[in-house]
Amino acid sequence: MNSYFNAFYTMVYRQVRRFIRARSRVVVSIVQPVLWIILFGMGMGGVFNFSNPMIDQFIKQQFGGLDYVTFLATGVISMSIFIGSFISGVSVIFDKQFGFLKETLVAPSPRAFVLLGRAVGDSIVILLNSMIIMALSFLIAKGLKIEGIPIAIAYGFLLSVGFSSLGIAIATKMNSMEGFQMLMNLVIMPLQFLSGIFFPLQRMPEWMQLIAKANPLTYAVDGIRYWLTGVSEFNPIIDMILLLILSLIFILIAIITFERATIED
Amino acid sequence: MQPIIETRNLVKKFKDVTAVDSVSFKVYRNEIYGLLGPNGAGKTTTINILITLLKPTSGEAYIDGIDVVKKPAEVRKRIGVVFQDPSLDMFLTAYENMYIHGRIYGLSGRELEKRIYELLDFVDLKQYANKVVRYFSGGMRRRLEIARALIHEPEILFLDEPTIGLDPQTRNRVWEYITRIKREKGVTILMTTHYMDEAEMLCDRIAIMDHGKIIAEGTADYLKSLVGSDVVIVRFQGQKSTCLEPGDGILSCKEIMGGVELIVKDATKILPRIFEEYELRGASIAEISYRRPSLNEVFLHLTGRELRDSLEDTPKPIRRWR
Repeated sequence: MNSYFNAFYTMVYRQVRRFIRARSRVVVSIVQPVLWIILFGMGMGGVFNFSNPMIDQFIKQQFGGLDYVTFLATGVISMSIFIGSFISGVSVIFDKQFGFLKETLVAPSPRAFVLLGRAVGDSIVILLNSMIIMALSFLIAKGLKIEGIPIAIAYGFLLSVGFSSLGIAIATKMNSMEGFQMLMNLVIMPLQFLSGIFFPLQRMPEWMQLIAKANPLTYAVDGIRYWLTGVSEFNPIIDMILLLILSLIFILIAIITFERATIED
Repeated sequence: MQPIIETRNLVKKFKDVTAVDSVSFKVYRNEIYGLLGPNGAGKTTTINILITLLKPTSGEAYIDGIDVVKKPAEVRKRIGVVFQDPSLDMFLTAYENMYIHGRIYGLSGRELEKRIYELLDFVDLKQYANKVVRYFSGGMRRRLEIARALIHEPEILFLDEPTIGLDPQTRNRVWEYITRIKREKGVTILMTTHYMDEAEMLCDRIAIMDHGKIIAEGTADYLKSLVGSDVVIVRFQGQKSTCLEPGDGILSCKEIMGGVELIVKDATKILPRIFEEYELRGASIAEISYRRPSLNEVFLHLTGRELRDSLEDTPKPIRRWR
């Protein structure tokens, strides 16, 4: 039991330590989402503003009664967690190149816990980031509920551990940093648009809705939006359950991949 | 005596390349055993199988009597590894690197802290404990890796090319640590190297590897005796040097700058005769010296190639862990 905890704790410690050392990463991962909220939110928000109470009211209804900046801000918080988690797997490729991964592979501790430690360590950092983003978005977007933050973070944690694990699984099988980043970009872009971050699911064409409903990100976006604004498309409890299941599947895939890793990968 | 490391007909194939070809050897407790050979001889692959990072295509390998394929976790507890390529976390300090390693191996608290400082002291890095590893020199990194591999007090230490790319001074220091590890900590060491002087200096027994096979094994003296000859160099005062006829213990003779070089069966027996012969010829000897053959000559004798040549000829094998 002790050795499980040791491996887990150590990897958490290491991932957090590494991140704190890399200050540029901290800054970029906070600034970028905030720019999204300001530039895209206000720009697009202007399109939806007709200075006519009737029309404005009608448009607000499309976003569950929220103004666009608020709608987007809650989505972007989820998006920053999602992207941060997914690409955090890149550290596995770093560790391959700098040899540190071999070091953990010859250690007697169970690999599943080394993997979980990595994923949770990355998630902690990403959630700390997202809290800063939340705090900043409270300044920009109106009508956000402070009391919803702790539960929103819980949704964020499930999302983060799930996608961190999946990112690690993919990175375990890859050797080039550039290749990994290009693949991530390719996958991240559609998943972002198929999740309700920028526009609600119910206004998507049917086929898009179908894909979006299989996307774990959708439920995190919806759940976090519910707890921060009171608006959601699904029942937030169902959001939580589905997010949990999908994240567990990702973790399982990652454990199996990591357990089998040799230096021939 | 039960060997602490044993391989039996170990084979590893990568697609159509046979990297390790039926390798069998035994290493005994508190011994330094060296795998010597050019790049691509299969040394690192052999180590990777023993440290559970690669599965052999066929054959068996045991660490402390434990099958490395069947019980990798048990094997991992008993071994420490210093990889050929650096494997430190460049963004963490020396202390943090040691700490993480110690924690993964189940150490903690005061005891871990004490051991970290002890080992950092052992490799003379104590004053750099809180420096980020990125700013370390190559030699410092190597020393830190050696200290890290010892933190969980392994019974067996694997050193893959421990001094590759280091300057002569740093190499000497690393050699010193390796002999101290064996002497003070009673650890068994399996190391690979392509430096003959290193193998000769450190290893109790050496296995010479080439093309995935062990072609000779034994102490450095034994390996040299395989060549069955010594080198005698005679230098003269003033006059022209002349060669002695081969035969009767003299295998060959050639003129070199200011003297002659004789290849002889046994230098100690033949030296008096050489003195006699030259006295008869009226030549006055200024200097006479003899040496045992080097391991390079052993390699030449066994393969027909120089170890040095093959270093340059053989391209580096593809790194699998990019």
